[in-house]
Amino acid sequence: MEELTLELALKMLEAAERWAKDIAVFSCSIAVVDKAGAVIAVHRMDGAAMATTDIAIEKAWTAVAFKMPTLMGSRWLDPRNMGKLIGDHAMGMIGRGKGRLCFIPGGIPITNEENEVIGAIGCSGVPSGVGDISDTSVSQAGVTALYE
Amino acid sequence: MMNLEMAKKLLQTGIKKAKEMGRSCSIAIVDDNGWLVALHRMDGTPIPTAEIARDKAWTAAVFQMPSSEVSCFGDPKMPGSGFNLQNWNDRLTTIPGGLPIRDSDQLIGAIGCCGGTPEEDVLLCRKVLEEIRLREETF
Repeated sequence: MEELTLELALKMLEAAERWAKDIAVFSCSIAVVDKAGAVIAVHRMDGAAMATTDIAIEKAWTAVAFKMPTLMGSRWLDPRNMGKLIGDHAMGMIGRGKGRLCFIPGGIPITNEENEVIGAIGCSGVPSGVGDISDTSVSQAGVTALYE
Repeated sequence: MMNLEMAKKLLQTGIKKAKEMGRSCSIAIVDDNGWLVALHRMDGTPIPTAEIARDKAWTAAVFQMPSSEVSCFGDPKMPGSGFNLQNWNDRLTTIPGGLPIRDSDQLIGAIGCCGGTPEEDVLLCRKVLEEIRLREETF
């Protein structure tokens, strides 16, 4: 695909929602943004916390802006990694991007055949760290649906 | 109560109606407290319309009246003037295109449309609510 359309975004959201509902058994918010970081579609599942919509949008925005999953950026901001990574720490990153930067794991960029970022999906509301269940895995279910 | 299933139904109807009108638009659905439930931006619609649609829906939900009617609070001739509409917060808007959704006299949420002229946005909201057969009361 060359461009993310509303139709494709809804396909991703539907798959991610199904995964969150049936496998993760958690209510969450899921957002899909285009290559400009602008929202295409957002869904908040019944019972998900109200603020999760904004966080899901910001995760997706960050994934586009940095062309990488927010999971990777979160490693730079993890205090446990201080001094362990090559180069300096990246704590100055907090609050950048007019406050929109959100390096919480859960945002995944979507690429085309030429490896250019054409959009991203973000999820918020699933507690992480329990087996395979996390925001990232819900987003991943959405990305996988694109290639089915 | 507003849930995702109903929000999806409203959005599907809205996008169908917008295509019939030959318009592309953004539509936002919020719950009774003004929190976003679902938002769709049609292909090719300008980017800021998504946020404006959400602002309209928020205004309609928290004031429990169409977003265009909120401007009456800023009218010096009306009782209750002095309400600072411009700088109240970054969500409040008086642009027409946000309507509250009522189900048997109870507010369950609001819909906001953005993408056409104000008249077209209001018409689209009305068409959606008509189709879904939820009563929409004007203030």
